[in-house]
Amino acid sequence: MATTATITLTSADIAGDPVNVSKTATCTKAGTTTDLDQTTGLSRVHLRSTTNKVLLAANAEGNNLAAKVYIINKATDPTLYCTVTINAQTIGKLYAGDFMFIPWSQTDTAASIEVAATNWTASTGDIPVEYALFHEDTDFLTNA
Amino acid sequence: MATTTATITLASADLLSDPISFSTTAELTTAGTATGLSSTAGLARKTVTGGHAEYTLFTAANYTDDGANKVYLKNTSTTAAEYFDVSIGDMQMGRLYAGDWAFFPWNADTGSTPDADIKIDPSAADVTLEYMLFHE
Repeated sequence: MATTATITLTSADIAGDPVNVSKTATCTKAGTTTDLDQTTGLSRVHLRSTTNKVLLAANAEGNNLAAKVYIINKATDPTLYCTVTINAQTIGKLYAGDFMFIPWSQTDTAASIEVAATNWTASTGDIPVEYALFHEDTDFLTNA
Repeated sequence: MATTTATITLASADLLSDPISFSTTAELTTAGTATGLSSTAGLARKTVTGGHAEYTLFTAANYTDDGANKVYLKNTSTTAAEYFDVSIGDMQMGRLYAGDWAFFPWNADTGSTPDADIKIDPSAADVTLEYMLFHE
């Protein structure tokens, strides 16, 4: 049940020599070579809340198990961003077209992944966000 | 202005009863603009020789607060049980196991306590992390 994640970072002109980094990881269970076997699938929400909303709810059973989270801001207006937070700590802002792929430790039930359309107004329109979770816990709880 | 792109492809032929494959490319830009990020810390390596101990990889105060910075991390270990705990400020984000990589936005926030420094903590001695930062 191999799931692979490949990243390629390229730039011809950000440094004196080109940058070209490409790596592929096989998503496995914690500390093993056994493939992850659970996923939420690719989901989509339309953010219009300027305050944090739970995108993926942490489950204490997931503490120290392997989980990988993919989130992308599908907006096309470059000024529109969503703020991604875990446990009241902002990770960063996903601007239009930006994505992230991170390991997720559910250290406790406060470690939910939350998002906010921080600069949303009625005139900006909703911010479409897509996300997927790959994990190993059959009792995982998720919501959108 | 530089042009830097990040492409991700997630694929599985057998995780579900139908194959999954999605891929997207993002151009890395400064906050709220179409202007490309123009600075990078370059691809670097860090081996924490002493084993389990927290090490600050990026100090938020050294970068633009609330910037559209992007961080790439990769655990180069080939021993499945070896991992790095990755934290931002005092929040543990996740464990990067052998061969895993992560890519995420980082706003280098210094307006909260503690600052949003990026820290790593290896599970064993002599595990090497490769990392790169694109920043404003």
